[in-house]
Amino acid sequence: MEVCTKMTKKTKNIIVNLLPFISIGLFIGFWFLVAGKPSSIIPTPYEVYLRVVKLIEKPISHTSIWGHVWASTKRVLFGLLLACFFGIPFGLLVGWNKKFRRVFKPLFELIRPIPALAWIPLLTLWFGIGESSKIALVFVGCLMPVVVNTYSGVSLIPKLNVDVAKIYGASNSQIITDIVLPSSLSAIMAGISTAMGTGWIVVLAAEMISAYQGLGFLIIRGSNVSDLALVIFAMLLIGLIGSVLSSLLRFLERKLCPWKVEIKN
Amino acid sequence: MESRDKKLEIKNICKIFLNKNNGYETAIEDVSFKVKENEFLVLLGPGECGKTVLLNIISGLLKQTSGEIYIDGKLSKGLNSEIGFVFQKLGILPWLTVRDNIAISQKFAGVKKTERYEKCQKYIDLVGLKGFEKYYPHQLSGGMKQRVGIARAYAGNPDILLLDEPFGKLDAQTRYSMQDEILRIWNENKKTVIFVTNNIEEAVFLADRIILFSKQPMSVKENYDLKEMKRPRDYTSEDFLKIRKEISDRTDLVIE
Amino acid sequence: MDKRKIKVQVNNLSKSFGELLVLDNCNFNVKDGEFLCVVGPTGCGKSTFLNVLSNLIEPSSGEVLIDGEKSNPKKQNLSFIFQDPSAFPWLTVQQNVEYGLRSKIKNEKLIKEKTNKVIEIMGLSKYRDSYPGELSTSAEQKIVIGRSFAMQPDLLLMDEPYGQMDINTRFYLEDEVIRIWKEMKTTVIFITHNIEEAVYLAERVLILTNKPAHIKDEVEVNLPHPRDVNSPEFVKLRKYVTDQIKWW
Repeated sequence: MEVCTKMTKKTKNIIVNLLPFISIGLFIGFWFLVAGKPSSIIPTPYEVYLRVVKLIEKPISHTSIWGHVWASTKRVLFGLLLACFFGIPFGLLVGWNKKFRRVFKPLFELIRPIPALAWIPLLTLWFGIGESSKIALVFVGCLMPVVVNTYSGVSLIPKLNVDVAKIYGASNSQIITDIVLPSSLSAIMAGISTAMGTGWIVVLAAEMISAYQGLGFLIIRGSNVSDLALVIFAMLLIGLIGSVLSSLLRFLERKLCPWKVEIKN
Repeated sequence: MESRDKKLEIKNICKIFLNKNNGYETAIEDVSFKVKENEFLVLLGPGECGKTVLLNIISGLLKQTSGEIYIDGKLSKGLNSEIGFVFQKLGILPWLTVRDNIAISQKFAGVKKTERYEKCQKYIDLVGLKGFEKYYPHQLSGGMKQRVGIARAYAGNPDILLLDEPFGKLDAQTRYSMQDEILRIWNENKKTVIFVTNNIEEAVFLADRIILFSKQPMSVKENYDLKEMKRPRDYTSEDFLKIRKEISDRTDLVIE
Repeated sequence: MDKRKIKVQVNNLSKSFGELLVLDNCNFNVKDGEFLCVVGPTGCGKSTFLNVLSNLIEPSSGEVLIDGEKSNPKKQNLSFIFQDPSAFPWLTVQQNVEYGLRSKIKNEKLIKEKTNKVIEIMGLSKYRDSYPGELSTSAEQKIVIGRSFAMQPDLLLMDEPYGQMDINTRFYLEDEVIRIWKEMKTTVIFITHNIEEAVYLAERVLILTNKPAHIKDEVEVNLPHPRDVNSPEFVKLRKYVTDQIKWW
């Protein structure tokens, strides 16, 4: 009886590990099916593959595929970094200091509902149509989730941790750096994760409006000349890069907050 | 002679809270008592009677509505580095190692890392956590976490140690072992201790003196001097059971 | 002479997780309607013990029989009260107590009859239409007790439910458990680390060793309920069990 259960456990493990590949395989198969129909406008996976080969031979805008990928990613990363640099301390202060909160929170709550894309005209006028306006747009899009999550994280800090700090002689600034910041770290990471998602949406929109490089640009280019294979390829790349970055972020969170992970276990 | 008798003096402390119905709730009515130097004093009372509130007032975390607190004859005006606190819910910071948690008072005081670690090693040894310096709280058992809390309080080198139901969350047997531990630690390193609990057996086992409180609004009900009772005490000896019963009969029954 | 028939049989029960042997050849019986307490040192593997007894996990070897049949929570009527139990806050007292019954009985009249009996025994008649959130902690615990006993299970397993409570509330609830147990004549296995609690409640106490756990000793407690923790007989039994377990 014992031996039997052990064997089926092993095969169970193998099946579980193969499942993601099986599902991707099924998806591609389904895609072939749908695209293969004569009336279909969707290119088949093979057609997309051919388009990619052509792209490598004849790059668009004198930029390789990696060049386009990096163009978009760079904009997101810079915008996100700026948002963290300004947003996290701001969020910490708003969450922690009553006076600061009273002055700045209402203003922030007024600006928050404005979608990042609504800033495009203003930012384009200020920064032109080059790199800086795109990075500024990503900054605006990322700022909101980072700040909101940061000050929410601060509000959820157990009072006990603060009491401990007070009893053991911490000054106000020590309380912020040594108690408030680590306690809110996982909320901040959640904010950054959300911000990254928003950052991507924003960057693609900005590129579709005016750019010569980037994944969003590739999509609009392909769309303009009915080159659907290019569009789909760009979409797949976006999905891939997005999930790689999310995994990196999760990895970072695990490294920074090892205690949280253990509790989940 | 004066200072030995009155390490700590609580005078007419009263605490009134605004409760959720916007009415006033008296947590502590009028509490006065003295604490001798290096005495192990236990504050005993039914659950939720206000003992934690009183302890928070003594430590300076909470302000009293009226009354005064004197430490070594001087009026105490709030947080005081003379006082160490072991919290009921531990408050051990999960992102710090055992060593960093224990050394925290030194860190806030600006002591350099190597010096901090050196100074705190003896407290780590004192509570029996030698070898666990670099462990994180989530890797420790309940009893071990409690010891970190106790070592942390000791590491600040306070004169007065406040403990708020520190063993409440432990299972009965670990509780017994920690009761032995705290007495051993206290014997090796005498401090004035105020220990809060709602467990009569624990109180009789540990205390030099027990102050029994009423239920809310809290006031002093009775004083039990157990200095004469030989240590280590036996939970099942006749004397022990007699006192336990006496106190049990006198306690306000509060079924929550 | 205890004339009650045997309800639960545990034969040669062992459980290991990989290399680690947690339970080692446990053998004991529980009589029908008996209140049995199991105590062991901290970390002896009591959760594993409970899980194997109720067949939530398979033993590595040996068997647990209830009324002569293999322990099976799907077929037999097993009830649990775990640590820090709570009543369903979205159901009234009445609905809470009925809850377990509804999954086993279809007859509305019978359900109401059994529920009312239990509500009366627990002294909750006034509150039958109130929600647990409106009542005190001890009242909520009485709902939990009532709910489990109302099902009249073949076996009721209790895992140190009052460990986190105030001493007075604890003794009060223990008295309530004994009261309803006497009325309903349920077979109960109550597992705890608190030796005084075990001696306070049990007709018989089983003493476990540390991992790998096996039954070290068995003690009969022939005192009437409610017991006096100060009486010399109680103290003697308590000391005996403590000495068997003491590791501190």
